[in-house]
Amino acid sequence: MNRLDPPDLFAPYDEAGQPAVPIEGYPNTVRRNPSRPLLARPYTRTARTGPLDLAPKLQPHDNNLAVLAPGRIAIGQLIHVSGRVLDEDGRGVAGAVVELWQANAAGRYVNPLDQRDAPLDPNFIGNGRTLTDAQGRYAFVTIKPGAYPVPDSGRWWRPPHVHFSILGPSTLSRLVTQMYFPGDPLNPHDRLLNSLPDPAARARLIAAQTPPEDVDGEWLAFTWDVVLRGRHATPPAP
Amino acid sequence: MSRPNAPLPPTAWHTIGPFFPRSFYREGDNDLTRLSADAAPTARGEHIRLRGRVLEQGGGACVNAVLEAWQADASGRFRHPLDPGWRDADPDFLGWGRAWTDGEGAYSFRTVLPGGYQDAAGPRAPHVDIAVIGSGIMRRLVTTLFFPDFAEANATDPVLRAVPEPLRPLLVARPDGEVDGLRAFRFDLVLRGAPEAETPFFVD
Repeated sequence: MNRLDPPDLFAPYDEAGQPAVPIEGYPNTVRRNPSRPLLARPYTRTARTGPLDLAPKLQPHDNNLAVLAPGRIAIGQLIHVSGRVLDEDGRGVAGAVVELWQANAAGRYVNPLDQRDAPLDPNFIGNGRTLTDAQGRYAFVTIKPGAYPVPDSGRWWRPPHVHFSILGPSTLSRLVTQMYFPGDPLNPHDRLLNSLPDPAARARLIAAQTPPEDVDGEWLAFTWDVVLRGRHATPPAP
Repeated sequence: MSRPNAPLPPTAWHTIGPFFPRSFYREGDNDLTRLSADAAPTARGEHIRLRGRVLEQGGGACVNAVLEAWQADASGRFRHPLDPGWRDADPDFLGWGRAWTDGEGAYSFRTVLPGGYQDAAGPRAPHVDIAVIGSGIMRRLVTTLFFPDFAEANATDPVLRAVPEPLRPLLVARPDGEVDGLRAFRFDLVLRGAPEAETPFFVD
């Protein structure tokens, strides 16, 4: 996306492709969701626009989670996660802020609210923030997160996943989601993934692994493209 | 390049979960008046403070919720090409901020009193769009804050008019004294509550 030519057509989301609540074993999906149906509103200029340059505010300059400092390498399987942030027309979204956070290899977050009895890794903080390039590309080096049990949920384990928060060219293109790993046996049991009614929407949250022989580096590589809401009323110039 | 007939489906939303990194939040992120932490605040418009609490079912504090605010500048313009007047928008005003609720569910923003503007849908009264994300919130919850100073403009605002009349006062912030010499407005967000108290939220 050219910054002077942002998407200008926005439609409400297809409900089949978005999570349905409540989710069993996750009481906050009841306590924190309105009992009244959401109200339809016209998309006026406030909703259609958004901050186009958040870089000075959010300082998106950290896409290496695995190497805290020279010689301070996180425990776990080193991975490279990359892809493109696209709009619904398939155009790359340049200059989007991509925030990423995840558990360590033992499935524990560096967060005082995570009190699970699993080890913390002094060389892993578990979050980063970067900016997409002119083609909408992003990339992170990190470690593969571990699975973890959800407390008081009746033996629900979250599969390995990576949290993403993306700030694109409009407030209507704002996205918070999670990326999953291909072939994980916990994926078909995950209640968040299964909260998406459309199986194709679930499949789109699962990254693809690059064949190791095609990877130039001592890590496993995964690619995952993200589509933000928004189209262009007029086609691009030929 | 031809335009695809079938657009790509947007990626599904998920919750931020309970462990959104605290280090993502830095001092000043909740200040809409500055382009960056070390930039000078805008000189245009009346600086104000917005504050309130985020509450969940049962009236308990919604802790560690993240609020994102977006609004026009003091003249009702956005620095974004979808605003026909965007080149005249205040170059020193960001218009975006992020706040984090504390142990009491309290948040605050520093901003300027926004201007209204004429939209294709009708005349917009001065307002601030607020989105809430948090653990258990699978898709962001969006609502709009209006100001008590503009009763007449509020009455014709096309978004406020999309709210059933008895609920409209819930979207109008209340005067709440002064903070550091700035007028403050109170706006509580009741994510789930009694029908007469629950904040109206919009389809995103």
